[in-house]
Amino acid sequence: MSVTSDKRAPGVRISDLSVVYRTGAGELPAVRGVDLELEPGTITGVVGESGSGKSTLALSMLNAVQPPGRIRSGSVEIDGLGDVVTLGGDDLRKTRGRHVGYVFQAAQNSLNPLKTVGKQLLDLGRSHDVDDLPGLVKEARSLLDRMGLDGARVLDSYQHELSGGMRQRVGIMLALVLNAHVVVLDEPTTALDMITQATILRIIREVHEERGLTTLVITHDLGVVAEIADRLAVMYGGRLVEQGPTREVLGAPKHPYTQGLLQAIPRLVGDIDEARALPGRPPTLGTIPPDGCVFRERCAVRMDVCETGEPPVLTIGPRVVACHTAAGDGEQKETVTTGPTRGEEQA
Amino acid sequence: MTLIGVPGRSGVIAVARRLAGHLARGLVMILVVTTISFLIIRNIPGDPMAAKYEKLVEQGMSPEAAQQAVNVLYGFMPTGSMWEQYLDYMKGLARFDLGQSLNVPGTGVGTVLMSAAKWTLIPVLAGTLLSFLVGIILGVYAAIKRQSKVGDLLAISGSLLHGLPQYVLALLLAAIFTTLIPILPAGGTADIMFEPGFNAGYIGSLIQHATLPVVTYALSSYGGWILAMKSSVVTVLGDDFILAAELRGMKRSIIFRYIARNAILPLFTILALSLGMLFGGAIFIERIFNYPGLGLMLIDSITGRDYALMGGAFLLITVAIIIANIAADLLYTVIDPRVRSGGEAA
Repeated sequence: MSVTSDKRAPGVRISDLSVVYRTGAGELPAVRGVDLELEPGTITGVVGESGSGKSTLALSMLNAVQPPGRIRSGSVEIDGLGDVVTLGGDDLRKTRGRHVGYVFQAAQNSLNPLKTVGKQLLDLGRSHDVDDLPGLVKEARSLLDRMGLDGARVLDSYQHELSGGMRQRVGIMLALVLNAHVVVLDEPTTALDMITQATILRIIREVHEERGLTTLVITHDLGVVAEIADRLAVMYGGRLVEQGPTREVLGAPKHPYTQGLLQAIPRLVGDIDEARALPGRPPTLGTIPPDGCVFRERCAVRMDVCETGEPPVLTIGPRVVACHTAAGDGEQKETVTTGPTRGEEQA
Repeated sequence: MTLIGVPGRSGVIAVARRLAGHLARGLVMILVVTTISFLIIRNIPGDPMAAKYEKLVEQGMSPEAAQQAVNVLYGFMPTGSMWEQYLDYMKGLARFDLGQSLNVPGTGVGTVLMSAAKWTLIPVLAGTLLSFLVGIILGVYAAIKRQSKVGDLLAISGSLLHGLPQYVLALLLAAIFTTLIPILPAGGTADIMFEPGFNAGYIGSLIQHATLPVVTYALSSYGGWILAMKSSVVTVLGDDFILAAELRGMKRSIIFRYIARNAILPLFTILALSLGMLFGGAIFIERIFNYPGLGLMLIDSITGRDYALMGGAFLLITVAIIIANIAADLLYTVIDPRVRSGGEAA
C-alpha cells in the first residue's frame, strides 16, 4: 500500500473520527465515525454541502478543531508523525506548517493585512526555527515563480495589493515552503473566476506531483474533484456516505445522495430542466437525526429500515458505500459498470 | 496595485499629498466654524455689560456702584453693525489676534487661553495617556480571558466606570480622599505657602493637587478604552488570518503581536479625537476640584458673555480637533499599509 513513486509522500489514515460541537442543546456531532485513508502520493477530494462537516474534517487533520468543537474519538495517523489527535502544545504547533500544510479558502484573508508577505514568511521561518532564512526566502520566491507569479514582487506586497488568485498561490506557497508533504486545501478555488480556478487547479496538480505530496482537497464543487482528485469521498450530515476512485464514483454513483448531487449539475448541452435539485435541505448540527440514515429525509429510495437502522458500511472492491439499498444491491453487482443508468454521464 | 516595491519613497509622497489636502480642508473648516460660532455667540441673549452688572449686584454691590464698574467695559465693547464686527473679527484672526477679553478687561484672549490651558493640558493629557495604556493592556487581557471570571470582572469594571458620570466619580473621590481619608488637597493648583517656580516644594504640591483630577479623568475614560480594546481584540481573534497563522504553526508570541497590532489600529482614531477634545477642558472635574483649566474658563466666559474669549475658546477646540484628526490620519498612513496606497485596493 505504501510503495509509491515518491517515497517521501506519507500516508494518512483517519479512523473512526468523531467531532462534536458543544451547544446549548448539548454536544452535537459534526463528524461521525469517519474512516478515510489517504494513500501516499494521491489527491483525495472530499465533497459535501455546507454544514456537511467537511471543513471540520479538514481541521481535524491538524488537530485544529476550534472551540466549542472538539475531537471526541478516533485518530488521524500520519506516517512518520503518529496520531495527530494525541499531539499537543509545541509538538502540535511544529507539526502544523512543517509537516502538514493547510491552504485556506481563497476568499478568506489568510494573511496579516499589516505586514508584507515576505515579513510573514520570515515570521513563519522563525516560528519553525529555520536557521537559513535567506534560503527560505529563496525557496519561497522560486515556489511563487513556479506558480507563475513574480516572486520577489509578491514577497514585497501586502495582502490588499494581491488579487484572489495571487493570494491563493501565496497560501499554497506558505503551506509548502517548509517542505510539508501532507497538504490540506479547504475550498481552494471557491470565489475565484473560472480561468483562475483552472489555473489554481493545474498548479495544485503539478506541484502535488513534483513534490510528492499527499493531498486532501475539500470542496463543494464536483467539477473540482473530477478534475484533480484520484479518490473521492462524499460527506453528508457528518458522515462519509460514499468513497472510491473518482472516475468510478462519478461514473456510477451508488449512494442516492451522490446520484442526487450529480443530477443537480446543470449541463452545457441539453435541457436546463434536466438538472434537478435535491428536494429539502441538508441537516444542520441540531437537525441531524440521531438514529437511522442521515439522508433519509431527502432520499428517493427510502425504506422502512432507514428510519431506525444505521446504514451498513459496505466495501465493494476499491469503493465504500454506506446505504441500505446498496446492501441488497451491492453484493449482487460486484462490478460497477451496471450502476443506476441516470448517473452515467461523465461529470 | 500601486506603490509596490518602494514603500519608503511613495509613502513619503502619499503623506505629503494627504497633508496638503488636509491643511486646505482644515482652513475651510476653521473659517466655517468661526463664522458659525461668531453668529451663535453674538445671538446669545444678554450682553457682557448686563451680565457683569447682574453678577456684581448678586455679589452684594449697590446698583450704582455696579453700574460704575460696568461702565469701564464700554471701551472694550465691539462697535458697528454685526457685519462690520464680523469683518473686524475675521481681520483680527488673520493676524492671529483673538481680541481682548471682557471678563479680564485689557488682557488679550490669547494670554487668558494660555494661562488656562496649562492647567488643563498637563493633567488631562496625563489622565488620557494613563487610561489609554492601562485600558489597552487590560482590554487585550479581558478579550483573551473572556470566557473566565477575570475577563468578566475586567469587562464589568469597564462598563461600571464608563457608565458612572464624571462628576459622580469626581465627588466620590473627593469625598473619600479629602474627607474620609484626608490625604489629598480638595482643590486648587498648589499650596500658597510654596513659591511658584522650579523648587521641590512647589512641584510636589503641584503633583499632589493634580492627583485627584488626573485619577478622576483616567478612571472615567479607562472604561471606554478597555471596552473598545476588548471588542476590537475579539473581532481580530475571529479574523481568518489569526486561525491561518495558528494552522501554519506560528509561535504564540508572533500571533499575539499580530492580534495586538491589528486590534489597536481603530483605537488611534478615538485617541486622537480625545486628545483634540482635551482643549475643551474637563468641565466637571475642574469645577469640583476648583482647577482653573479651560473648561472652567469656558463656563466663565459664557456666563460673562465674554464674546472674544468664547470665540477664542471655540476656535482653540476647533483647531485642536482638526490637528488631531490630521495627526491621526497621517499616523494611519504610517502604520496601516492599506491607507498608504490611497484606499484604491480593496
